[in-house]
Amino acid sequence: MGEPMAPSLAQATAPLPASAGIGLRAAHHVEVLADSPDVAWFEAHTENYFADGGAHVACLSRIRERYPLSLHGVGLSLGSTDPLNAQHLARLKRAVDRFAPALVSEHLSWSSVGGRFANDLLPLPYTEEALRHVSGRIAQAQDALGRQLLIENVSSYVTYRCSNLTEWEFLAGVAVESGCAILLDLNNIFVSAHNHGYDCIDYLEGIPVGAVQEFHLAGHTCIDEGGESLLIDTHGAPVCDAVWDLYRHALQRFGARPTLIEWDTNIPSLEVLMAEARRADALEAALHDLAA
Amino acid sequence: MTSLHELQSRLLDALLSASAEHAESSPAVSPPALSLIAAPVPAAASRLAVYRHTVHANVAAALRSTYPAVWRLVGEDYFRGVAHDFIVRHPSECGDLTPVGALFPAYLARLHERDEYAYLGEVARFEWLIQEALLVAEPPPFDLARLRLVPPAAYDGLRFVLHPALRLFESRYPVRRIWESNVGTAEPDSIDLAGGGDRLALLQQRLQPHFHAVTTGEWRWLEALEAGEPFAASVEAALASDAGFEAAGALRRFVSIGAIVDF
Repeated sequence: MGEPMAPSLAQATAPLPASAGIGLRAAHHVEVLADSPDVAWFEAHTENYFADGGAHVACLSRIRERYPLSLHGVGLSLGSTDPLNAQHLARLKRAVDRFAPALVSEHLSWSSVGGRFANDLLPLPYTEEALRHVSGRIAQAQDALGRQLLIENVSSYVTYRCSNLTEWEFLAGVAVESGCAILLDLNNIFVSAHNHGYDCIDYLEGIPVGAVQEFHLAGHTCIDEGGESLLIDTHGAPVCDAVWDLYRHALQRFGARPTLIEWDTNIPSLEVLMAEARRADALEAALHDLAA
Repeated sequence: MTSLHELQSRLLDALLSASAEHAESSPAVSPPALSLIAAPVPAAASRLAVYRHTVHANVAAALRSTYPAVWRLVGEDYFRGVAHDFIVRHPSECGDLTPVGALFPAYLARLHERDEYAYLGEVARFEWLIQEALLVAEPPPFDLARLRLVPPAAYDGLRFVLHPALRLFESRYPVRRIWESNVGTAEPDSIDLAGGGDRLALLQQRLQPHFHAVTTGEWRWLEALEAGEPFAASVEAALASDAGFEAAGALRRFVSIGAIVDF
């Protein structure tokens, strides 16, 4: 296996369909390649395909020949006050060149400082200082990649005393200042709204309609933490009814967008993920019919 | 107002600091971080503990993925404890978790330097080299036709190129048998730790690890080739350590197993 071939230009430039795709996990590589299941598109975690070669890179190259792809990063640490990691950015650029994804996304978070990494998506304080800082870094990454990034809202368990903006004001401000698009994770909104006591609909209404280019749907779990219920974004369960309702609101406000079924722990069979994707597509189709 | 850099430094200190127990069962978070959180102290501590748990669990999962045989040898509880201590001493330096376990073999070797688990560091080193070998891009196969065009007088000056996945591995313990016995689901074999060590060339073939026993002379010869020495000098180095080294046979063998890919 040499350097994987870049997909054809037609594949590279085709946008993702405004329907439901599935998060590609290594556990399903073989099945996807053997059966070519009826999935509209896949989203892969970029860092899992950073290597020069190996089985994962080989599988994704072959899967990319058959399906539209989105690359979703978790490690760029865009909100960090360290200099942007040039090596990570170079590897991201190589992955983008190699796999020609329709969309490239990252998170509105930080995970490192002083050269040490938490490898987790830590929330930023919602201040003007942080807004200017992270917007500048997103713009820098976009310049390096030569393309627009989609930036995803993260789920969170803490807010900071110094925050003086709402999360949706912060996210919308970052989109304006950096020129990025928004990947709206509806499960993350639901989890954070529960944990911090705000209204999900206020959040949706604070996001400019034209900025949203993708939705994420996932499952979470509820724990008792010190006598209070806390929602944890595990990506290890079906999408709950309340998040399906929120998806309906999002479709009404933003219109149909590529929508990802994300599942990262206790990964079920591909059929379970495809059933969740069909449910998302059916919900969108029903709303479309209603509007017509 | 706390600057963004100050906030991030205080928070990361809290998330990566040591705890008496494993991270997931300890809500202990340092006061400088707690004062940043918009919640009363007990709630702030338990919410930060959620992040502490994730940070340590993510690294432990990455280590388990790289070191499946070590994990099976020591069991989940011990492995999680060691992973927690490891990340406190050697925090991740990268947004990609693949390299996070690079220092784990040396860490385990020091930890068990003088006890009956001294083989763990060697098993971990073996697993790290396997991971490295499996992530290398496959070069084009050796072009024998091109070699045939080289006049015999020029052989001595040829510099053979090793497969980029080739890793040389030497151990005091029978690591290959320990590893093979602990990566599957079958009941592990009983292995005599005093049964002698390995001297192996690790290779990736069709995305799978392959191991080849090497003699003293072959080891020295491959080291010389790896250092970029010309063929004649590499053979001389091999013969100096092993008078029985046979260059033509070694060249045929290591080309045929894909260890030599170019010249």
